[in-house]
Amino acid sequence: MTATISIVLIALYFSVLIGIGIHGARVSLKTREDYFLAGRGLGSLAIFMALFASNITAFTIIGHAGFSYEVGYGAYGYVIGWSIFITPFTYYLVGYRSWLLGKRYGYATQPQVFGGIFNSKFVGLLFLILLLYYTVPYLVVSIIGGSLAFSTITDGAVPYWLASIIIIGISLVYTIPAGLRGTVWTDVFQGILFLIVAVLLLGAVAQALGGFSAITEQIVERNPAMLQRELSETIAPINWFSFSFINSIAVIVFPQMFTRILAARQSTNLKRVSLYYPLAMAGIFGVSTLLGVWGSVAIPGLSGMDSDNIVPMLIHQFLSPAWMIMGLVVILAVVKSSIDSQLLSITHLVTDDFLPWFKRIRSDRAVFWGRILLIVFAIIAYFIALVRPAAILSIAAFAFSGFSIILPVMIGGLYWPRANKYGACAALIFPAVMLHLWYLEILPGWTTFGFMPVFPSFVLATATLVVVSLLTEPPSQEQQEKTFGIFNRVFKYDDQASG
Amino acid sequence: MKFKVRFALVCLIVLIMFILHNSFWLWGLDDKVPLLFGFMPFAFSYYVGYTFLALVAMRLIIALAWPDPPADIFDGEKEEGATRR
Repeated sequence: MTATISIVLIALYFSVLIGIGIHGARVSLKTREDYFLAGRGLGSLAIFMALFASNITAFTIIGHAGFSYEVGYGAYGYVIGWSIFITPFTYYLVGYRSWLLGKRYGYATQPQVFGGIFNSKFVGLLFLILLLYYTVPYLVVSIIGGSLAFSTITDGAVPYWLASIIIIGISLVYTIPAGLRGTVWTDVFQGILFLIVAVLLLGAVAQALGGFSAITEQIVERNPAMLQRELSETIAPINWFSFSFINSIAVIVFPQMFTRILAARQSTNLKRVSLYYPLAMAGIFGVSTLLGVWGSVAIPGLSGMDSDNIVPMLIHQFLSPAWMIMGLVVILAVVKSSIDSQLLSITHLVTDDFLPWFKRIRSDRAVFWGRILLIVFAIIAYFIALVRPAAILSIAAFAFSGFSIILPVMIGGLYWPRANKYGACAALIFPAVMLHLWYLEILPGWTTFGFMPVFPSFVLATATLVVVSLLTEPPSQEQQEKTFGIFNRVFKYDDQASG
Repeated sequence: MKFKVRFALVCLIVLIMFILHNSFWLWGLDDKVPLLFGFMPFAFSYYVGYTFLALVAMRLIIALAWPDPPADIFDGEKEEGATRR
């Protein structure tokens, strides 16, 4: 009976996704802007759910719960605390100005926006290389994580290799025909599904464990260390401070997030998203934190990788088998909503910013090339996920830090007219090299002064941009006017009116 | 109010939020403050409050320094992308 319900539910879920893909293909125009940016016409709900769903990965519900199991309630503030405010703030700080330039000049990717600001093809190329370098391993890790979870939750009935094919295959079914529109529509569906099921799951687990207050009293009695942040070495203040520079500020640099910002219809849509975002992220990570901490007294004694299985174990031990099916659908939703957006972003970057180095591509042909490349990258990602090469996994481990240290160049380009292409190039290359030297332990640990490598790298990126820009020729007046003329009109309109 | 002043206020808001996130001197209260609603210890309820504060902060930032663009600002020639110029 349960097996039948499982098959029906999963078939229903996949049918909705396929239906969205077919409908998306019907309404999409065959132009570059429509395929990769949904015609820059995304409304508030679409853009919010797209940003939310793309940013939620298997880590949110599986990994973070495992981390909370180990660390306690402090995991909540450590992982998501600063992000609750600073991530939507970066949508204003970087997103809005980039969106203005995108609408004015037709820019669609970071290489175009920042290549344009610094008037340098080389800056654009550096952005392209770095974004691909960090996004591809991140994509592969997402596929590995999702496939492992899929395989585990089905007790191996779906082997790892088949789980990968299913996850990638279904993502392609709606992404190939409908482009960004397809991924965004499925994000709305999957994001709502995910939010509802997560809240229901929390309530069901709480009920099974005797209620919210009863389980918390047990924690206070049996494992009071879970309440005290001071007792955990993992989230010691220096790590807590350093982590502020990894998770939260990297989000706007992810190409899949940046592109979605550029696809907003109006400024108002971005404002609304900045207001909804804190509540949604705090809510979903709150659920994950509580499940993890409750698990520490409900199923004690897990350590290392085992603690990452705490949510499936709670479901398995305390809830009916139907919840396992719901859990499976949620994991698929979470994993696919990030994989499809990463795949599309990689394809977009290569189609728009790499192929034109060799061949001029017309707008309608860009859609054709985009579809071909989606398939090619999906196949490559699948085989890398099967082999799981150590090099790819080690790059993925510090991909977030790599994204973060690109941010100073983005902020400099958008706020400091004196920032130039020499400063930008140096600030993209030098800190990235240093980050590798620190993470690969080629440089001794003490050289970071106890901080995580991302913090000194971030400071180096900022200092390098400033020093090299000041030591070299400033951008031409015309070049500055092209970017800052627009910003002055938008932001200093009142100043000019009163002056 | 000039935009520079408004933007300085935005920076002040960001600084306050950063300090409130890195409020290590409050960690001593983790096992002293009573549970909120019977199940949220201080390390958790603090960030529930922080979330609503973030909402207010973003609302203030929008009011202070996030104007909508004038209607004609997007007129003019488009480029095909910086890497292709």
